[in-house]
Amino acid sequence: MTSPSLQITGLTHAFGDRTALDQVGFEVRPGRLTGFVGANGAGKTTTMRAIVGVLAPDAGEIAFGGRPMTLEVRRRIGYMPEERGLYPKMKVAEQLVYLARILGVAKDQAQDRADGLLEALGLTDRRDDMLHTLSLGNQQRVQVAAALIHEPDLLILDEPFSGLDPIAMDAMAERLRERADAGVPVLFSSHQLDLVERLCDDLVLIHQGRVVAAGAARALREERAGRRYRVEVGGAPAWRPALAGMTVIDAGAAGTLVDLDETADPQALLAAAQAAGPVAHFSRTLPSLADLFAEVVR
Amino acid sequence: MTTSRTALVRLVAGREIAVKLRDKGFLASTAVFIAVIVLAVAVPALIEGDTPEYTVAADDAARPVAETAATLGAAGVPGLPSADITVGPIEDPAAGAPSDPSVSAVEEALARDVDVALSVDADGTVIITALEDVPGDLEELLAAASSLVTTQAVASAAGLSAEQLADLTAPTPPRVDLLEPKPEQPVPPELVIVIFGFLFYFTVLTFGIAIAQSVVEEKSSRVVEILVAAVPIRWLLAGKVLGNTVMAFAQVLLIVGAGLLGASAMGQGEIVAQVLSVSGWFLAFFVLGFLMLACLWAVAGSLAARVEDLQSTTLYMQLAVMAPFFAAILIRDEGPGRVALSYFPLTAPLMMPARLATGDAAAWEPWVAMGIVAATAVALVAVGARLYAGSVLNTSARTRLGGAWAAGGRA
Repeated sequence: MTSPSLQITGLTHAFGDRTALDQVGFEVRPGRLTGFVGANGAGKTTTMRAIVGVLAPDAGEIAFGGRPMTLEVRRRIGYMPEERGLYPKMKVAEQLVYLARILGVAKDQAQDRADGLLEALGLTDRRDDMLHTLSLGNQQRVQVAAALIHEPDLLILDEPFSGLDPIAMDAMAERLRERADAGVPVLFSSHQLDLVERLCDDLVLIHQGRVVAAGAARALREERAGRRYRVEVGGAPAWRPALAGMTVIDAGAAGTLVDLDETADPQALLAAAQAAGPVAHFSRTLPSLADLFAEVVR
Repeated sequence: MTTSRTALVRLVAGREIAVKLRDKGFLASTAVFIAVIVLAVAVPALIEGDTPEYTVAADDAARPVAETAATLGAAGVPGLPSADITVGPIEDPAAGAPSDPSVSAVEEALARDVDVALSVDADGTVIITALEDVPGDLEELLAAASSLVTTQAVASAAGLSAEQLADLTAPTPPRVDLLEPKPEQPVPPELVIVIFGFLFYFTVLTFGIAIAQSVVEEKSSRVVEILVAAVPIRWLLAGKVLGNTVMAFAQVLLIVGAGLLGASAMGQGEIVAQVLSVSGWFLAFFVLGFLMLACLWAVAGSLAARVEDLQSTTLYMQLAVMAPFFAAILIRDEGPGRVALSYFPLTAPLMMPARLATGDAAAWEPWVAMGIVAATAVALVAVGARLYAGSVLNTSARTRLGGAWAAGGRA
């Protein structure tokens, strides 16, 4: 059986006069980490709240494995809200067990899972502490545990990496990858573009309530890659070719960046480079996610 | 993996109860309340057993008055206080001649632990001398004794016989015939009403505010988003209200039970019987009255965005609890107003049992009032649930009632 995917079509919502979402549509595929990227107020949180059923959108459809998001389906989502959400004055383990039981996990199993997750997240010694006595980073780990406690079929995480130190970030990334590898569709939003670029299989770029790009991360970058090439010529670090239809953008220790126009032939560039010395590197450059983001929101 | 509604509601209710049971403030206030009730029952019973004791020093002329007062105090004459009065001479028989001529015998007597000294001056006026004040009971007895002695003296001077004298000084009191006697009640029903009224007022207010607080805490910590994603909003509300109602009722039962146990331990069986006979109605109306307002307390919480907003969002709820309390203890005389208030949904939960306690309501009346309160409860629960659903997810700012109502219709 193939794992189901999350399908969003035509999601539209307005807060008063302000349109927050305008025909938002994308897919979160099973087994893949999908990064949800957009500026503040672009509509990421509103979309996620609509998916988990905390907000009733004005229009649009959300389906998981072809089924509408009934309560039964929603209860299989692991959700991490943007501003976090746990009881500050409840003990860590007790809190996880309570949430697990709310989500339909039997008592004994809930206890086992809570212990297991706390151990995996390095919080075993804090299990009987009140949540508010933990550092923010540790509270966030508990929040992750809360989203994973019922072994959800779908993960919706709003800014799971914000406020984490690099080590905690790696641990979190590992957890998400683990779930994705188990066949769970994972959608998470983030402002940290480098991290998203490193981590994500799929991307959804949203700008002013509209999806401006969505699909496999690699394909999106390929699609928007122009005809920019990077050449490294051994022994000639500042090599500057002077060929028709080519513009040198930069030349330095990291090689030479050249933009080719419609008429120019990359092979001519390669030949010229070989003539200048041994070629250590020759490739078409892909735009970074930051470039991509800057381009689509322009 | 399906979880039934009952199981979810019970889970939410269970958390509310567990939180309360671990709340030190709640435990402390319950303990204090129980202690106050037990003391209130025990202390009067302990004090009641003691007849006050006084020592009176009287000179020869005043001696008959002092002795008559002692007789009256010991006899327990209706209308007069009881007291155990010891009469002695003004001069201390143990002491010799006055040690200091500048100190009068009376002053010396008062220095000797005598409560008052009694003497008669030249024109026959009885003089009571004391250091700072004369105990009220004693003064009353001495005044009665003095007039009795005077009457006897005048009567015997007029040559009345002993029987005539007795008729004059101890006339046969009028007999009281009641056509519609009220049952003998060891505790005035007004006191029972005040105690139950205060208990309910206190409990509804603390648990009402607890519900509002628990809601706003979930809002401000955003945990409500996780809960709402997985549990229908109305089930959450039901669990919250159920948990707090159970705890509120348990607390009231505990306090009333402690009071009754205390009373029966002090041998006040009559009080126990009297309170038990009316407490059933008080408790039944309490549960209904609490449920009627519970959802609105949750709304007061969900309209707030932060704990600080509660002050203003719960204001009307506090009034809705305060008004019936003061109405029930202040309006004591049976009349059209009291009858009307005993059917008005907000005041009925206290006023109807109050009218029953004073014996003013017919047997069918509480049933009608209960029906009215129950119907109002159903309506207010529906209104409350809609307002709660419409406001609990609005975490950014205080929600207005109108907005909550409209949003609740969509939720």
